[in-house]
Amino acid sequence: MNKEISIQLSNVSKTFRTSSKSFSTLRDRLINFYKKNEVKTIKALKEINLEIHAGETIGVIGRNGSGKSTLTKIMSGTFIPDRGGQVIKNGTSLLLNLGVGFSHELTARENIYVNGSTLGLRISEIDELFYEILEFSELEDFKDTKIKYFSSGMIQRLSFSIAIFAKADIIFLDEVFAVGDNKFRKKATEALKQNWLKNRTSIIVSHSTGVIKEHCDRTILLHKGELIFFGETEKALAMYEELE
Amino acid sequence: MGSNAANAQLTKKNRWERIWLLAKIEFKLRYYENRLGLLWALLKPLMQLAIYFIAFKIVMRNNIENFAIYLFAGIIVWQFFVETTGGLINILKTKKYLYEYSNMSKIEIYLASLISASLGFAFNFFILILFLIIGGIDLGWNLIYFPLIFISLFIFCFGVALILSNLYLKVKDINQFWPLISQFLMWLSPIFLSFEALKNNIPYISYLNPLFGYISTFRDVVMYNIKPDFTLVLINFAHAIIALFLGLILLRVFGKRASELL
Repeated sequence: MNKEISIQLSNVSKTFRTSSKSFSTLRDRLINFYKKNEVKTIKALKEINLEIHAGETIGVIGRNGSGKSTLTKIMSGTFIPDRGGQVIKNGTSLLLNLGVGFSHELTARENIYVNGSTLGLRISEIDELFYEILEFSELEDFKDTKIKYFSSGMIQRLSFSIAIFAKADIIFLDEVFAVGDNKFRKKATEALKQNWLKNRTSIIVSHSTGVIKEHCDRTILLHKGELIFFGETEKALAMYEELE
Repeated sequence: MGSNAANAQLTKKNRWERIWLLAKIEFKLRYYENRLGLLWALLKPLMQLAIYFIAFKIVMRNNIENFAIYLFAGIIVWQFFVETTGGLINILKTKKYLYEYSNMSKIEIYLASLISASLGFAFNFFILILFLIIGGIDLGWNLIYFPLIFISLFIFCFGVALILSNLYLKVKDINQFWPLISQFLMWLSPIFLSFEALKNNIPYISYLNPLFGYISTFRDVVMYNIKPDFTLVLINFAHAIIALFLGLILLRVFGKRASELL
């Protein structure tokens, strides 16, 4: 196996601060200047250390609120870790979370171009892929409809169809296997396998033990912000079952 | 941090075509969504023109020559300023979908909006030229200074937009304060008041209100065909650089946490 490091986290913690509502505006700050700003902190992740190698497919599993999404957002660079933590990433990455990354005011066509472009495709490449993306998403008839009129399933299909053509070395898949109906899901999973899981580093976040079992080489188990286990998928899943 | 560098690379090679794509789409959303289309872009300055004309020419009888054109020139510069500053306070919120999951550089998002507003300005500028021709005012060589003035205005507005939108992350009611401040700036700009009246009565106005210089130098080169006052041009460039510098600092300090704060 290729041992080149793809992602390395050392000592990564993430604390969210929620300041009380009376301090979010200037007016409130002035009126409440004599009050102390009560800041609540929530530790979402606690001192995570891990290494992911190039080409691996990694599962992330854990209960609600265990820090799965925070972890992927930190790995993808959307969130910045607390002071002292370090994220090293070799190559480009993108985070696929169905239905986000779209403007509801734009049409499917415009969203394909904007989204494709932010995912690293050139306009000329999108021109070429345009009908392929539409066909895959089964939305040919709605290409010039604003997506605010789309159902959530349609938006997910569109989002998925663009992402499989995107260019990046690392992909984060946050609960994307629930896309569409059965038939679409089958096709989508197959495309994902061909385009991503086979040859690039992929990180799959899912509640479904079936999905993790099927695709992942190794699995991260999170519980209340702590990394409990990182290794063999079978073992991680067994430990996960025990947690419940 | 390694991750940001890698992601910057991902989006760098197609950066300019993406900025242009976003600018075009924004422009289209703004003006082509309704039946009147681009006429909307014109309707607003024309309405303002009518109001100020009635107030300052018919009621107060000032003696500025070609007052309608004088007004229109001031109004379109002012409108660009309003659109790109107050209009962009929420930009990190409304455009969150762009940067949240792809780590696209936020600078690109600002540039796209500013370019979109510049297209609107270009359209109004074209109308102004028509007015000048109809009004029998000759265009002259001093128009070559126009790009210099516009670039400075562009940088200044970019800076102010950065400052406001990043402060918005921490202080939500900047939304309420900014219109008050811009009212103040408007009344102290030579939009409907004469350049001399402001300059002679308010000391240091060219330093205090950046719009003072932008509007008057713009008029100099477009309407009066004279060389712009280079001291003003210089002062304005200083305003622009300071605003941009402050804005970029705020973007670094607050902006990087935008997706958590919003």
